[in-house]
Amino acid sequence: MTTTITRSFQAEESIDHVWSNISNPERLVTCLPGAQLTETVDEKNFKGEVVMKFGPVKAKYNGLITFEELNAETKQMKMIGKGLDSKGKGSADMVMNCNLTEKDGGTSVDYTINITITGMLAQFGARLITDVTNSVFDEFTANFKAKLKGEEVDNSMSAGKMMGTVVKSMFGGGKKKEDATPPPPPKSDTTT
Amino acid sequence: MIKCKTSKEISGMGHSMKRKEDARFLKGKGNYVDDIKLPGMLHMDIVRSPYAYAKIVKINAEEALKIPGVIAVVTGKDLEQYNLHWMPTLMSDTQMVLPTDTVMYQAQEVAAVIATDRYAARDGKEAVMVEYEPMKPLMDPKKSMDEDAPLLRPDKEGQTNNHIWHWEAGDREATEKVFNEADVVVKEHMHIPRIHVASIETCGCVADYDKVENHLTMYMTTQAPHAIRTVIALVAGHVGLTEEKVRVISPDIGGGFGGKVPVYPGYVIAIAVSFLVGKPIKWVEDRSENLQADSFARDYHIDAEMAADKNGKILATRFKVLADHGYTDASANPSKFPTGLFSIGTGSYDYGTAFMEADAVYTNKPPGGVAYRCSFRVTEAVHAIERMTDRLALEIGKDPAQLRFENFIKKDQFPWKSPTGWEYDSGDYHAGLELAMKAIDYEGLRKEQVEKRANGEMMGIGISTFTEIVGAGPSKDFDILGIKMFDSAEIRVHPTGKAIARFGTKSQGQGHETTYAQIIAEELGIPAEHIQIEEGDTDTAPYGLGTYASRSTPTAGAAAAMAARKLRDKAKKIAAHLLEVSEDDLEWEPGKFSVKGAPEKSKTIQEIVFASYTNHPQGMEAGFEATHYYDPPNLTFPSGAYICVVDIDKETCEIKVRRFVAIDDCGNIINPMIVQGQVHGGLTQGIAPAMYEELIYDEAGNILNGTFMDYLVPTAVESPKWETGHTVTPSPHHPIGAKGVGESPTVGAPPAIANAIVDALSVHGVTHMEIPITPFKVWKELQKRGVFDKE
Repeated sequence: MTTTITRSFQAEESIDHVWSNISNPERLVTCLPGAQLTETVDEKNFKGEVVMKFGPVKAKYNGLITFEELNAETKQMKMIGKGLDSKGKGSADMVMNCNLTEKDGGTSVDYTINITITGMLAQFGARLITDVTNSVFDEFTANFKAKLKGEEVDNSMSAGKMMGTVVKSMFGGGKKKEDATPPPPPKSDTTT
Repeated sequence: MIKCKTSKEISGMGHSMKRKEDARFLKGKGNYVDDIKLPGMLHMDIVRSPYAYAKIVKINAEEALKIPGVIAVVTGKDLEQYNLHWMPTLMSDTQMVLPTDTVMYQAQEVAAVIATDRYAARDGKEAVMVEYEPMKPLMDPKKSMDEDAPLLRPDKEGQTNNHIWHWEAGDREATEKVFNEADVVVKEHMHIPRIHVASIETCGCVADYDKVENHLTMYMTTQAPHAIRTVIALVAGHVGLTEEKVRVISPDIGGGFGGKVPVYPGYVIAIAVSFLVGKPIKWVEDRSENLQADSFARDYHIDAEMAADKNGKILATRFKVLADHGYTDASANPSKFPTGLFSIGTGSYDYGTAFMEADAVYTNKPPGGVAYRCSFRVTEAVHAIERMTDRLALEIGKDPAQLRFENFIKKDQFPWKSPTGWEYDSGDYHAGLELAMKAIDYEGLRKEQVEKRANGEMMGIGISTFTEIVGAGPSKDFDILGIKMFDSAEIRVHPTGKAIARFGTKSQGQGHETTYAQIIAEELGIPAEHIQIEEGDTDTAPYGLGTYASRSTPTAGAAAAMAARKLRDKAKKIAAHLLEVSEDDLEWEPGKFSVKGAPEKSKTIQEIVFASYTNHPQGMEAGFEATHYYDPPNLTFPSGAYICVVDIDKETCEIKVRRFVAIDDCGNIINPMIVQGQVHGGLTQGIAPAMYEELIYDEAGNILNGTFMDYLVPTAVESPKWETGHTVTPSPHHPIGAKGVGESPTVGAPPAIANAIVDALSVHGVTHMEIPITPFKVWKELQKRGVFDKE
């Protein structure tokens, strides 16, 4: 199943500063919750892993990240991620298109992400995937903004954190980033 | 009121005897496959594919084998050595037991993990690493025949595209002529979606191969144990498992509904592993495996058309079907009937011209096409004809009940030859609909509807007057893998007048232990309480094709009556001997023979049976036993008239079934209470596809509702109060005049509900809604039509 997410946000920093962050895989990837780089293949290809964990489903994707387009002049970036579940339980593919424009003395960041998930996560979590993805990229945006300011970012993934965000978003809450109080742990019957 | 010929003590036909089997079910003493524990038994779990279509690059079991308790990981390559990696389906297609190179649907079996306990097996399954090379799956059957569609079955010799078979019935040219000349033609496209039987008990088995005796005992969830034994012998005969070395035992079954007719790979893998290691192997599916991988039902895309004159006299119908069978045709149909009994789709109406055709195609979905409580595709056919009948009524502005009365086959037209070749045995459609209309106050409802509509409220009334076709079937036409579809009964009465009777069928909740006993009680006068019924063990029961498609009463029930009559004939000879009179001087009343004109001179059946062991006439065979293999002369044609009333909330579009009246005619009734229970269950399984159930796949081949969190099985909360009743039109050719009832409500209910919803929405110009009709679908339809803009 495919989910498309479109996001825009305004950064206070200059376009060159934002570009230097967004075109740097080390800095970009570590803003994505649960993701980390494991190997630099060449200047455009990187190996990494993403852990997705919510409710009964835990998936670790090992994948290849490729910058298909990095145009410093037009400030256009296209990144493709192809991940395979480390246990052969499925795959996740992602295409991210991002472009920067100067706006109000800062930078407008616009990105679109298409995520296609196949396998166990899609089978069991279809109903939650849109919500999960939305909250993942809410967090990604917040992390990225913090990183631009030079702050430390914690992008580790925990089951409680993930499930909590999703449960909240299903009930209309949790969309707000500042609401970071962890919710009570999921009831045992949701994990069987 | 049903007239009973026997006393309550005997409890023959017509008595609402309490179910004999219920004591053990209610007290937790049922014996299901998962209750079977054998010494040294190992457990199996199955690694399944996350992809709908992929090459298998490598299966790495290294980590799995390190887990304490994990003994082996079996792959397709292992089975290939014994030529057990493929098996035939009941439709003579082929199906993988385990793949050697390609997976064809999501959740397909890829490897089996054998361990000392179930937990270790599950841990092992998680640890098996499979490397795949995913390919773009073919999910839309409408694209199966496209030029650029991948050839899904290159393994099949001569297969050059994804077409499986073409089928047709009726007269194409004559139908076209009628359609060209008709005043009115209505047409709709309808999809009868893929659904799952979702029985409470999933599938499973314990395969117990004894190396010393070279003998396999197979405990399994099967509705057709004898057929399965034959299939095992056909598949595994070459490794020494010939039919006399195979014993299939089908213990208590927690719901079958057709889903336990096919042979699933899990069964075969368990047998193969038990054969290799010489230990019992248990395999029991979990809920999601059951829902995602086992045989589905339905999945017919139908273009339905009806031609009529301007007064609404139906002249002809034409149905064109595209059948999505997944990657292999694993239906459980009789050989000559790839679409099952779909050609019943001309319905309860008197017209002479029809044409139906179907094409089946492969897709990357699980295989199947089982008769989910639908007697071989009758649900699909009835949905099409009953929707079109309402569609015609809407088109010409005639009340749908009136239109039906004017088109019904009349009571005196039976036996009636249908335009697709069936001979309907009996029916009284007018009486059924009249009774249903009276029970629900049809006229009052129509008046209320006019008032409600004036207030902008959406209320709908839907009718379904269906004809079922069950009891497959006469041997001249009906076989599965060449085996004729008769069924059998063997009655053995003990010296003290108590009996055991064995059958080739297998109850999965239908109440055979009670109803079969009642049939024998009716014929022999031995109290039903004293008759033990046994099914499901191929070593003891006579051969039969099993229980599905509402065939047990029409076939095995008839066999019980016929075997009992053989015994009554013998009883008469013995009674004549004991009473020293001629057989012609005897008369029978349930339980005894007495001398005509001298009723005090009589012998009870118990005395007669005792004599058959202690004092039988010289020259007569001793004992009191009989067997009958019943080959039905025709199918039976139950019918029903269902009326449903719905209210649709004009803001939320929530659909509420306010009332549902179901009048069934299943011929003579054996046990009214059991019939009512069957009807309640069937109606609930009818509301399911109409409003809730559908297996949904995305383009990548993911099943999006493979758990009960997302796949909506109706519960008591969703079920309206069912109001049931019956008319009785006995089958003229069945020994006890019974017709079969288990599936009628599932067949009849969906179009009644759909017709009611469409009736409610028709004020906004809606002519058809695809099932399952959810509030969201209704909301979208009304939104599309700008209904909410106006308000």
